[in-house]
Amino acid sequence: MTDRPGPAADKTPSQLAMDEAEGLAVEPVTQWHLFKARFTRHRLAMLSAAVLGVIVLLAVFADLLPLHNPTEQLEDETGRIVNLFSPRADYPFGTDQIGQDVLARVIYGGRTSLTVAGLTGLMVASFGTLVGSIAGYYGGWVDTLLMRITDLILSLPLLPVAIVAAAWLREAFEGREALSLAILLGTLLWGTLARIVRAEFLSLREKEFVEAARAAGARDRRIIFRHILPNAMSPIIVNATLVIGIAIILEAALSFLGFGVRPPTPAWGQMAANGGRLAVGGSGAWWLVLFPSVALITTVLSVNFLGDGLRDALDPTQTIERK
Amino acid sequence: MLQYVVRRLVYGLITLLALSIITFTLLQNTGGDPLDRIKANPRIPQETVQQMAEFYGLDQPAPKQYLTWASNFVQFWNYPTAWGRSFQGPQQVQELVINRLGGTARLMFTALGLAVMIGIPLGIYQAIKQYSFLDQATTTFSFVTFSTPIFVIGIGLQIILALKLEQWTGVKLFYTSGMNSTNYGDLSFGARIGDTLQHLFLPAISIALISIATYSRYQRASMLEVLHSDYLRTAKAKGLSQRNVIVKHALRNALIPVITLISLDIAGILGGAVITETIFGWPGMGRLYIQAIGINDWPIVMAVVMLIGFMVVVMNLLADLAYGWLDPRVRYD
Repeated sequence: MTDRPGPAADKTPSQLAMDEAEGLAVEPVTQWHLFKARFTRHRLAMLSAAVLGVIVLLAVFADLLPLHNPTEQLEDETGRIVNLFSPRADYPFGTDQIGQDVLARVIYGGRTSLTVAGLTGLMVASFGTLVGSIAGYYGGWVDTLLMRITDLILSLPLLPVAIVAAAWLREAFEGREALSLAILLGTLLWGTLARIVRAEFLSLREKEFVEAARAAGARDRRIIFRHILPNAMSPIIVNATLVIGIAIILEAALSFLGFGVRPPTPAWGQMAANGGRLAVGGSGAWWLVLFPSVALITTVLSVNFLGDGLRDALDPTQTIERK
Repeated sequence: MLQYVVRRLVYGLITLLALSIITFTLLQNTGGDPLDRIKANPRIPQETVQQMAEFYGLDQPAPKQYLTWASNFVQFWNYPTAWGRSFQGPQQVQELVINRLGGTARLMFTALGLAVMIGIPLGIYQAIKQYSFLDQATTTFSFVTFSTPIFVIGIGLQIILALKLEQWTGVKLFYTSGMNSTNYGDLSFGARIGDTLQHLFLPAISIALISIATYSRYQRASMLEVLHSDYLRTAKAKGLSQRNVIVKHALRNALIPVITLISLDIAGILGGAVITETIFGWPGMGRLYIQAIGINDWPIVMAVVMLIGFMVVVMNLLADLAYGWLDPRVRYD
């Protein structure tokens, strides 16, 4: 027995040392190792993760950066308001029509847009998982009822309903637009994830390890959260990532229509929308549209590539060699 | 089969019912008194205001108002007075909405046509020439388009293809606003067509781009799957020409999932129309909708939401039926 390399856990320290000396040491390969190996092969996803990391850091630590106040009307030495300055040394992204620094607004706007999107992702992940796992685990009338509600949410025309709800929330949550938008988007977007989680649970609940847990006397809650859920994590992570991208786009669309984040609080969609109106109106201020749009598109693109990479890396049926 | 259709229609009705209740409730709690605006209009006699308050049951509790609205709404055949007057002025809601329906339909079907005619061939080509330059370029284009809000696309096209193009070349190729020029009535027949297209192209392509990206992605995936199937290898082994293999054997099956996708995309296209109509000053339902929400003209908002919801429900049903018709393996039960 001892001369064959077996599971490291079964061996005494002296045996392990002997194995090592003879070159027989076994390094365990965990799911995490496999995930890392697959993910690092996906170059675009690695790049996206890095870009996203930088954007998030900029948004989080915006206060520490040497930026102008994003909501202050800036003046030059003579006291004139510096409105509609094209990009130059002291204002790298230019200034807007009321003399606010566009660079500062893009970075602080990222804070707003990412807060909305991140909160939406969290809401969708928790609520979709809860509904999906209860429906899939218990089945029967609970499943039928929950899935009817899910189907109903999924069959509503997304944008028109979002607009009406945003108009209402704007009054109900005055001044806390980021939170109210996240609640709105979370409420409208959890359906897809609930369906995915339900499908996972339907197949996993029949597996032997669940039966074993039940035979050992585990209660439903323990089986759902400790035994089944960890096995269903991959699609949840992937879908929550993609929802973040969708949320940024929808927040931008609502802001464009005037039902999103209101100035002076900056947000990418709202900046691009207001800048766009000015640019089409003939101001020629291309920087007001370009910079917030590029920030937004880069972020969503990174989120989507990251989701793609995670999907490939988290799929345990894939071998490392693929592609 | 009949049972399936009936059941789906019942679900569709429940969806519309839920949609109307949700929207109505949200609108009830938004904005001030909807009558404020019309009361302030000196040209509208007090009796009219009184009539409207009575018609909508504005002094009644909200559930009663909903029932009043719903019973009027389903009597759509009493055109044009069935849905009552708009709170903005003397016009009838039904007239306003139906007049705008044409604008939205023109935009929607043009966008849909462009998306089908460009997206599907593109996807087929991508699958046949997998990993070619055009395949890679289209994939990149698709990812970028998915990640761009539609209003950024619209504004970008306005700036580049309309404003800048005119500045640089002096040629006014596209218009950025409206459905026709003001002198449309004086134009000859040929000039009218040209004028219409010049107005239509930019908003339609703004909506179509996202659909082109979606269709080509799906068409590529479904075509690749079919191209790697056994029956296709058989067809090739029999010595059929490349053209025959692709057109007669592969394409027929590869189109099925995409046709379903297109019917389901109607909701997305209508959502895109709401935004695009706002950007391009297009007289359609979407712009009417946004204007009406801004001033709490809820009968119009309800009418537009219900029409969009109706189209989405019908298209979902048609998508499922088309799928069963095209793929005989699908059974309804």
